[in-house]
Amino acid sequence: MRRIGVFICHCGFNIAGTVDVETVAEALRKYPQVAYAITYKYMCSQPGQDLIRQAIAEHNLDGVVVAACSPAMHEATFRKATASAGLSPYVCEIANIREQCSWVHQARPDQATVKAADITRTMVEKAVRDEPLEALSMPLTRRALVIGGGLAGMEAALEVAEAGYPVVLVERSDCLGGKVAKLSGVYLNFSAGPELIAERIRAVRGHPKIELHLSTEVASLEGYVGNFRVRLKPAGRPDSEAGEPLEVGAIIIATGFDLYPMALLGEYGAGRYPDVVSGLDFERMLASPDGLRRPSDGTIPKEVVFVQCVRSRDPERGLPYCSRICCMYTAKQARLYKRLVPDGQAYVFYIDIRSAGKGYEEFVQEAMQEDGILYLRGRVARVFPQGGKTVVWGADTLTGKVVEIPADLVVLATAAVPSEGAMELAQRLRVATDPYGFFSEAHPKLRPVESLTAGIYLAGAAQAPRDIPDTIAMAGGAAAKVLALFSQEKMTQEPTVAYVIEEICSGCGVCISACPYEARSIDERRGVAVVNPALCQNCGACVAACPNKAAQIRNWTADQVIAMIEALEL
Amino acid sequence: MDGQNGIPRALVIGAGIAGMQAALDIANAGFEVVLVERQPSIGGHMLQLSETFPTLDCAQCILTPRTVEVGQHPRIRLYTYAEVDRVEGKAGRFRVRIRRLPAYVNWDLCTGCGLCQEKCPAKTSSEFEGGVGLRKAIYTLSPQAVPKKPVIDPASCIYFLRGKCRACEKLCPTKAIDFEQRETFVEEEVGAIVVATGFDLYPSAELGEYGAGKIPDVLTGLQFERLLSASGPTAGQILRPSDGRIPKEVVFIQCVRSRDPERGVPYCSRICCMYTAKHATLYKHRVPDGQAYIFYIDIRSAGKNYEEFIRRAMEEDGVLYIRGKVSRVFAQDGKVVVWGADTLSGRPVEIAADLVVLATALVPDPDAHRLAEVLGLELDADGFFREQEANLRPMETDRPGIFLAGAAQSPKDIPDAVAQAGGAAAKVLTLFRKWGGGGPSGR
Repeated sequence: MRRIGVFICHCGFNIAGTVDVETVAEALRKYPQVAYAITYKYMCSQPGQDLIRQAIAEHNLDGVVVAACSPAMHEATFRKATASAGLSPYVCEIANIREQCSWVHQARPDQATVKAADITRTMVEKAVRDEPLEALSMPLTRRALVIGGGLAGMEAALEVAEAGYPVVLVERSDCLGGKVAKLSGVYLNFSAGPELIAERIRAVRGHPKIELHLSTEVASLEGYVGNFRVRLKPAGRPDSEAGEPLEVGAIIIATGFDLYPMALLGEYGAGRYPDVVSGLDFERMLASPDGLRRPSDGTIPKEVVFVQCVRSRDPERGLPYCSRICCMYTAKQARLYKRLVPDGQAYVFYIDIRSAGKGYEEFVQEAMQEDGILYLRGRVARVFPQGGKTVVWGADTLTGKVVEIPADLVVLATAAVPSEGAMELAQRLRVATDPYGFFSEAHPKLRPVESLTAGIYLAGAAQAPRDIPDTIAMAGGAAAKVLALFSQEKMTQEPTVAYVIEEICSGCGVCISACPYEARSIDERRGVAVVNPALCQNCGACVAACPNKAAQIRNWTADQVIAMIEALEL
Repeated sequence: MDGQNGIPRALVIGAGIAGMQAALDIANAGFEVVLVERQPSIGGHMLQLSETFPTLDCAQCILTPRTVEVGQHPRIRLYTYAEVDRVEGKAGRFRVRIRRLPAYVNWDLCTGCGLCQEKCPAKTSSEFEGGVGLRKAIYTLSPQAVPKKPVIDPASCIYFLRGKCRACEKLCPTKAIDFEQRETFVEEEVGAIVVATGFDLYPSAELGEYGAGKIPDVLTGLQFERLLSASGPTAGQILRPSDGRIPKEVVFIQCVRSRDPERGVPYCSRICCMYTAKHATLYKHRVPDGQAYIFYIDIRSAGKNYEEFIRRAMEEDGVLYIRGKVSRVFAQDGKVVVWGADTLSGRPVEIAADLVVLATALVPDPDAHRLAEVLGLELDADGFFREQEANLRPMETDRPGIFLAGAAQSPKDIPDAVAQAGGAAAKVLTLFRKWGGGGPSGR
């Protein structure tokens, strides 16, 4: 016989306004193995938690069920309270009678009360069969791997290293600095990209805690949060052997972005007409020591057409998303052009002007009003050469008229796409991406710098296109997560993981292919399946797959679930 | 745990989503945080939101576990209903004086039972509900408030106004009501400071030509947010204020005082395009036979899955986007008539709407000026806190040891605020670790 205590929360009027909590308490007092049941206004408050602690001692309870809000809210609270009374925190269960009952059945209080008692009884049945587990403890390697030596990767690496932890920084190319190093000038202050990040590059190169690997990529990854083993290999050499495994505890992905390939932009004449260039080409032309010259004949272009949203916001031919940075860099390029060629004319074809950052709107207004850059709202229909010019046909959707501009140079703001090889890297790291290949964050609102894999974090445009200040902020955010992880004395993990009833395991190996976390293997000597508890995320795939029902999850066993279902009266 | 060169303990000012994130990131890395919030409870504007773009997650459902985590964190010392009054010293050792406003409730005795709020006879307009709902004179911001302790508002309390009532005092089972309470001051010493004071909305009293404040069926975005919210005054039903009917034609107006250097602010408020699209989408989900119109200048949906969200609003929910400015809003025969121009067709547009929702500009927190003086920081021309350098140092200020997070620096949405708060926390953590604080280092 177990002695379960049941604690029913009013949650003010949130629960008690609909559910008759005293009726629920009365029903539970009569239920087998329930030694004690009581209600309280706010069980999560300090007096509420004290009430649980005292009841455990006074009534010699060996299990706790709190009927309250969702376990997402206060499971940790109540488990801590249970543990402080000397019990295992894992014999405390939450019956969700708020989100799953009172809030959704306000119109039917009588049935809500019956359902609340039902939900609570199911959790009593679970608690009766709970083992008093203890949290698992794992070792922790306090060294980080940062993948990508652009602005995001350098910033993240520096933050972690400055905090005193060793960092392995891996960059596929032979230099640091990424895309920013290729910019002639950045908005809003036009300072040159290489100058902007020179100090950062020096800091990374000279940092005693940063181990820099240029022309290197990640070959393979094993392990789990706190205990990854990564192998590196020379970049771009498929035949080369991977090196010895390095141990790291956390990983930051900062692989940045690429531009949509110019070769796939036929209707703009990209690749065919020499005076049609990409935004990144134009950055290089702006920075040329010989001054701005157009590629075909080396003359100074007097009329330049900038075309935004080339394959961005274009689900039919390109990508449905907005590349976020093009509106601002186009305005910047047009303004830099006007500085170099004051008597030249710049035109910008746009759909919407997106200048939503600090000082950005003002920057674009100045481009129009002070630099006389002509913004035309519309798409470009055709680009073709004629008499040494590149003619741009487009529509001005504000006047409704067709526009024809014989340009000397056409600059395409091509879509930002995931860095080449991002998908393969994602597979190697077992990290999720979106359909385009940008790495997926754990939650779009509240966990933007975490991947869905524990211990792997995201910085910069690897997650989605973003500009320099947003990248700096995010890289710092990712570093903060690493610092929090490394500050722990040891890593603890939930013990509610899969296990094998070895007497009935036939060693067939179905669980190995079912497990998405590579937590399963066969113990060859004994011929049974085993679980690596550090990798197991208690998803239950092995439980469903096992033909012998030898796979179970601790405190979520088949017996428990069946007993919970049988407790239902509705 | 005192470091060699500074106190490894942080002050975070403001407990909205940015301040909470900064506090959690610092505290979870093993350091103490003093978190000061002017409101009676934490959570900031995000707690007022119904659902969030682009996933339409319920804001309270994702945020309240965070507020609980902050409220119960062993390394976060929370002062709500308090403000930073004086700061002396420099990075490594700031002496901070915190003014605690009188709640007229002894929070040490209060159990948060809620009886006082239930029985209080005085009702007034609720700031949390944006003025579209009521609260009592003794109140918490929401039933899930952290901490779950009420305050008495002397401006609406019958006892404070007329010298009698004291119903809450008589009923309180723990004798926690204290009408004699005065403001108190506490001193804290910290090594670094994060400013996360967020934003406010452009005052709707100054939006005369849109009928705000005069026509009851002209609401601000935040008021509409409360109408959408399941915990709001209408329990999530969209009912227009004038007659409680379901509005069948709703006009949303973007850039109200944003991008408007003549009458408002020159900058873009960054979040309005997306929340307006969300408003229109949620409206269509609740009132499928209704029509939503959005007046815009440019649609700015430059975030992950944002463009796709706008496209769904247009294509799946039939929200009608009209590119143009609104010239006049006036009441006529129970309708709110909106005159505007469609700059794509070049024609004037007239819509007889049942409800008009204004996406008003984001402005700095009204206390930012005072706080900037207290901290010795500079504000930019628009009144937001000025970062040291816009590109590479967006979280740093001109004063070492003081950092910026979230909309205090400039308008930003939730994920950008969370990322920047983490970035500010990283700056603080790096300092603390250099001073020799914190847990084990090396491999």
